[in-house]
Amino acid sequence: MRSKRFEVLENRPINQDGFVKEWPEVGLISMENPGDPKPGIKIENGVVTELDGKKRADFDMIDTFIADYAINLDNAEEAMRLDSLEMARRIVDINVARKDVLKMTLSMTPAKLTDVVSQMSVLEIMMGMTKMRSRLRPSNQAHATNLRDNPVLLAADSAEAASRGFDEIETTVGVARYAPFNAISILVGSQVGRRGALTQCAVEEATELLMGMRGLTSYAETVSVYGTEPVFIDGDDTPWSKAFLASGYASRGLKMRFTSGTGSEVQMGYAEGKSMLYLEARCLFITKGAGVQGTQNGSISCIGVPAGVPSGIRAVAAENLISMLLDLESTTGSDQSFTHSDLRRVARTLMQFVPGTDFICSGYSSVPNYDNMFAGSNWDSDDFDDWLVLQRDLKLEGGLRPVTEEEIVAVRNKAARAIQAVFKELGLTEITDEEVEAATYAHGSKDMPLRNVIEDLKSVEDFMKRGVTGADIVKALSATGFTDVAESIFTLLKSRMAGDYLHTAAIFDKDFHVVSAVNTPNNYTGPKTGYQMSDERWNQIKDIPRAVRPEDF
Amino acid sequence: MDQEQLMKKIVEEVVKEMMAGGSAPDTGRPQADGPEGKVTASNYPLAEKLSDRIFSQTGKRFDELELKALLDGQISAEDMRISPETLEMQAQVAESVDRAALAENMRRAAELINVPDARVLEIYNALRPYRSTKQELLDISNELESKYRCTICSKFVREAAEVYEQRGRLKAG
Repeated sequence: MRSKRFEVLENRPINQDGFVKEWPEVGLISMENPGDPKPGIKIENGVVTELDGKKRADFDMIDTFIADYAINLDNAEEAMRLDSLEMARRIVDINVARKDVLKMTLSMTPAKLTDVVSQMSVLEIMMGMTKMRSRLRPSNQAHATNLRDNPVLLAADSAEAASRGFDEIETTVGVARYAPFNAISILVGSQVGRRGALTQCAVEEATELLMGMRGLTSYAETVSVYGTEPVFIDGDDTPWSKAFLASGYASRGLKMRFTSGTGSEVQMGYAEGKSMLYLEARCLFITKGAGVQGTQNGSISCIGVPAGVPSGIRAVAAENLISMLLDLESTTGSDQSFTHSDLRRVARTLMQFVPGTDFICSGYSSVPNYDNMFAGSNWDSDDFDDWLVLQRDLKLEGGLRPVTEEEIVAVRNKAARAIQAVFKELGLTEITDEEVEAATYAHGSKDMPLRNVIEDLKSVEDFMKRGVTGADIVKALSATGFTDVAESIFTLLKSRMAGDYLHTAAIFDKDFHVVSAVNTPNNYTGPKTGYQMSDERWNQIKDIPRAVRPEDF
Repeated sequence: MDQEQLMKKIVEEVVKEMMAGGSAPDTGRPQADGPEGKVTASNYPLAEKLSDRIFSQTGKRFDELELKALLDGQISAEDMRISPETLEMQAQVAESVDRAALAENMRRAAELINVPDARVLEIYNALRPYRSTKQELLDISNELESKYRCTICSKFVREAAEVYEQRGRLKAG
């Protein structure tokens, strides 16, 4: 006879999730693996001759890169002598300033920083994030993608996302050859929604750089690094190729960040018996050493792996904190589905949402789950109102603002018409009035008329062959009466010439004033310091449309 | 300027600084404030505080670039590219806030400005695993040095050649 209670439990969403017991020998362990190296450094004549228990003669290419580029050797011996528990306590101590924490952590090794954060409870890790995040104000990033790479819908969705408050918007492709269309659709759409929002198109590295150089995107993120050499090689790169790529972006005035996350190495079968967190620490040191301003981490596309093992979600928070202890812009995940349980997906997000990070989600899906081409997201467009209520319940900065149906319909329509005009002016495939209408009111791509994919792809090829640039898009918008959108994209292109947004955690406000860790650094030193929500912003967050006024009762 | 206007200007400057949230003192003057005339965080954003010192590679001044000029065909995308001098100023800003590695990346980038887009992409691909023999990487290193004066990048590629050789990540020659 079965217990009815157990039968009910069995059918709960949480029991469709996968869980696995630890297996340290292959690296199937989130943190605190007995197989992790003991922290240590030996410096002779300014050269690291031993790193975390390994002699220079035995270094793999990641060890070499970290030893030569990623550690501030000036304070290294002092920092490494410091007890890990003492360092952990300084991180949560409001009387120790952020810059004094960095003076130590920037001189530590990967094994040492792993050991430091392993001393901390998840609450202490969150406290650390509040203090160590680089930018004063937390922000948020959206995904805008769809199953059919429909450009009209992409323009409308990115306009809505920007209008709702996302400061960055990321797209990717179903069909790789569509990439340039996706890039220009969200570029145009985003500027309709909110001037100054930044956009990227995540595709193969060389293509992504090419689109950036042409002015079709304004930053890049999907530049992956890995914690073991075999996985790095499998990813078809090395720390040197990736660092060169980073310089290539900066040479064209383009913001970029690297991407990594716990679980990628064990998923690809070469974790070398180390914990996920230690290997991720190595990724973050590579990012630091390459001189890249920030990282997208928090397991990202491998979230299923740490989520399956004990303390995995704590490890994800810990890896976010390590990025901040290395003074990197933190773009903290939540951008892939990992659970069937609504309770669990909220709990996972609170670790970043409550303390605030530079980008709380590195991909809140601004489209329905079925349209998300990054394998779903932990949050999607159907959850917009939940997010707004959480901001209101907790008086927290989550980046979004309440909106009305009328204003969203209006920006979606304008974005759809703007991309229609650009396509026509540049001689690309036709976008019909019927499509504009559908995109204005759509929930997702299932509400859109089908496009002729073969014709679209021919048109994309021609677009790239002709060498169309961001400047041509500006001209097309201006010629068709979308002068304000033209002006925004022109200003985005022009801003590359000044390079201000190459700095850590940089975004633009609606007046193209750059907001970064240089001019608005996080200065948290306890209650009533750090980011303080303005009355204006709080009134905006409070005012969700469904709240009734007491006097109306 | 009468008293009222002057006060208004001062207030505006103060408010602007508060909005920027910067702790560094702002003199409002468009000049470098750091030691030895170096640019620092107090000059940032350069687009607002040092705009008269930002020129494109083709010599166009940042604050003179307007949409109308692009539409009239007086400027092109080429006139909107960042210059090595601007990236050097940004590298100094990064150093002033203790971000030495970011500054170093900006200096590598400053060198690459004069390398054509297609060549940057080719060199990136050549640095990927098993793509190049040691000699091919050394040739790229020499090309960067002699043809484009990329001293730091040249050394960086040479170093990659050595590491790839030690780790067996070169193309079979």
